[in-house]
Amino acid sequence: MFLHYVDLSWRSFKRTPMVSALMVFAIAIGIGVTMTSLSIYHMMTKDPIPNKSERLHHVQLQTMDDGEGYWSKDDVPFQVTYQDAINLQNGNFPYLRSAMYKAGFSVHLNSAQFKPFVQEVRLSSKDIFQMFDLQFIYGGTWTQQQQDDIAPVVVISKSINERLFKGVNSVGQSFYLDDIYVQVVGVIEDWHTPVKYYDPNNGSFNDPENIFMPFTMGAAYEITTAGNTNGWKHEPDNTFKELLASENLWWQFWVQLENAQEKEEFGQYLMSYMQQQQTLGRFNREQLTYNLFNVMELMDYRGVVKHDNQIMVALSFMFLAVCIANILSILLAKFLRRAPEVGVRRALGASKRQVFYQHLVEVTLLGLLGGVLGIILAQLGLWGVRASHGAYDALASMDVTMLFAAPAIAMVACIIAGLYPAWIVCKTAPAIYLKSQ
Amino acid sequence: MLTMNNINKVYQTDMVQTHALRDFNLQVEEGEFIAVTGPSGSGKTTFLNIAGMLETFTNGQYLLDGVDVGSLNDNQRADLRNQKIGFIFQGFNLIPDLNLFENIEVPLRYRGIKATERKRRVMERLEQVGLASRAKHLPQQLSGGQQQRVAIARALAGEPRFLLADEPTGNLDSLMARQVMELLEQINRDGATIVMVTHDPELARRAPRNIQVVDGQLADFTLYQGNPAVAVGA
Ligand SMILES: Nc1ncnc2c1ncn2[C@@H]1O[C@H](COP(=O)(O)OP(=O)(O)OP(=O)(O)O)[C@@H](O)[C@H]1O
Ligand SMILES: [Mg+2]
Repeated sequence: MFLHYVDLSWRSFKRTPMVSALMVFAIAIGIGVTMTSLSIYHMMTKDPIPNKSERLHHVQLQTMDDGEGYWSKDDVPFQVTYQDAINLQNGNFPYLRSAMYKAGFSVHLNSAQFKPFVQEVRLSSKDIFQMFDLQFIYGGTWTQQQQDDIAPVVVISKSINERLFKGVNSVGQSFYLDDIYVQVVGVIEDWHTPVKYYDPNNGSFNDPENIFMPFTMGAAYEITTAGNTNGWKHEPDNTFKELLASENLWWQFWVQLENAQEKEEFGQYLMSYMQQQQTLGRFNREQLTYNLFNVMELMDYRGVVKHDNQIMVALSFMFLAVCIANILSILLAKFLRRAPEVGVRRALGASKRQVFYQHLVEVTLLGLLGGVLGIILAQLGLWGVRASHGAYDALASMDVTMLFAAPAIAMVACIIAGLYPAWIVCKTAPAIYLKSQ
Repeated sequence: MLTMNNINKVYQTDMVQTHALRDFNLQVEEGEFIAVTGPSGSGKTTFLNIAGMLETFTNGQYLLDGVDVGSLNDNQRADLRNQKIGFIFQGFNLIPDLNLFENIEVPLRYRGIKATERKRRVMERLEQVGLASRAKHLPQQLSGGQQQRVAIARALAGEPRFLLADEPTGNLDSLMARQVMELLEQINRDGATIVMVTHDPELARRAPRNIQVVDGQLADFTLYQGNPAVAVGA
């Protein structure tokens, strides 16, 4: 019977092609708009690193003296100082960790033929690749020795490798970052993540860096940050030496903790570290606190998904509701015009339920068509978002979940629109239409 | 087979109440062929629709094969209708999107009959009404008479024991009308009970029993055949 209903629905479309096309188009536009905003929202909120998000933890320390305030919701600064980053990096605990910050460099080969370009570079520990699941194509990370010895080595991404070395195995090759002559030790796959969760301090949706170098280079070469620096204390910070010794906050620190016990132990480590720092005259406060958020907790804490985005999604659903209302009235007119036929079917033995079911199949099919067309419109919409907002590149795309969600939402929408008309047409007394011709 | 006791049907529209049937009493026996006549608006179609359970009645009692129809729900009525009753409507009421074959197939589908069996029965009916070669045609490609024959074939497809026909010849010329009448008579001989509404006195006269509906009430003319003058006089 189901296939028969599908067949009947198809004939019904063909009988009123314009009206049917109009309805499909209405639902497609509604779905297109909804899916555009929902896809962006979905990419913003979905777990950017599902395998590790529970284990990767971001460290925040309450370094400010009592009485000082920060604009985070719990007053704890988002970033850490150079001193804390280095102390924790060198801390005596068995977990993978990385102090990190980003810098900007001009990349060149010191030859007239090669046009220099500007790149963001992440200074980090050698653990970053293992921690964040970055896959090596050639070579590997720098060694602990190289990190300690401040060796000018880098790991570059596939796309930089294309640009500098035409994609060949470039391990051992060198190039310039400004005046620093660096040697490639590894090439990784490009780091794709819709949300830059590991450093949301300068735009949560910026692209990840393509070049990585040992964090020890930072102090040695006096590499300034290309990200935010936050200060709360009046103290000299004009020279790089002063900056390193200051309470200025410009580093991020991540640690990989496998389970609750490790998290507990690391929390204790942080407390005792801060107490030890107090003896050195820092952390002048009654209450010592820290934040140790995993990836999803951090995204939530940082408000990566802005309230605006939620409003956008709500608005687009309202727009969909308007489309549904339109479809509802068209369906009502269409179904009522068919009431005489329904009367005949009822007289020939169809129950109300069968009539109702037949009409629901028809609207569901309508939804399916609208949903598929809606996906195409949503792709256009997302393309528009990508074209006008470069930073949304990785966000403005549909993943499989959304691809399947679109027709599902469209069908549900059409069923909602069709329930009332289908009910009206099936409850109408069949006899009315059979009285005369 | 059918018993109606004091059936009343009141239509309530806006301010107007129409008493379409008042204290309507009728007994129909298995195998009867009854012609129903009466002025326009007297309640003939209303009676037929109630008999076919397409419409509910305001009060009274209606028994079909001993089953109290008033106590059935919509699904049960649909089943009973599908099993026992064939309809031939005042208009032909073929479904325009469906070809002849599919139109005749409709009641069989609702009965859940398998495709091969459906096909056999539909073709049998199409042959019976002489339209087998037109199975793939759409209703609008047929003449009025042909459409009515399809409507009859559809009514018969489910092999109903009870055939309700509302002016089955109303739209046909007299030759066609006679052919349809002959078809109905044959179906009656094959065992079906038929109640047929008609305006045509000549056709009515061919039916063994005539009843007349006047102003929602029944005037029974069982002896009509032997005494035509009475019918005209009434
Ligand atoms: N759905 C309805 N709502 C209101 N009044 C109705 C409805 N159906 C029928 N009527 C009224 O009930 C009365 C009987 O109608 P019915 O159709 O049974 O007459 P009929 O004998 O079949 O007439 P005709 O010979 O013209 O077909 C009429 O007065 C008609 O106006
Ligand atoms: Mg009538």
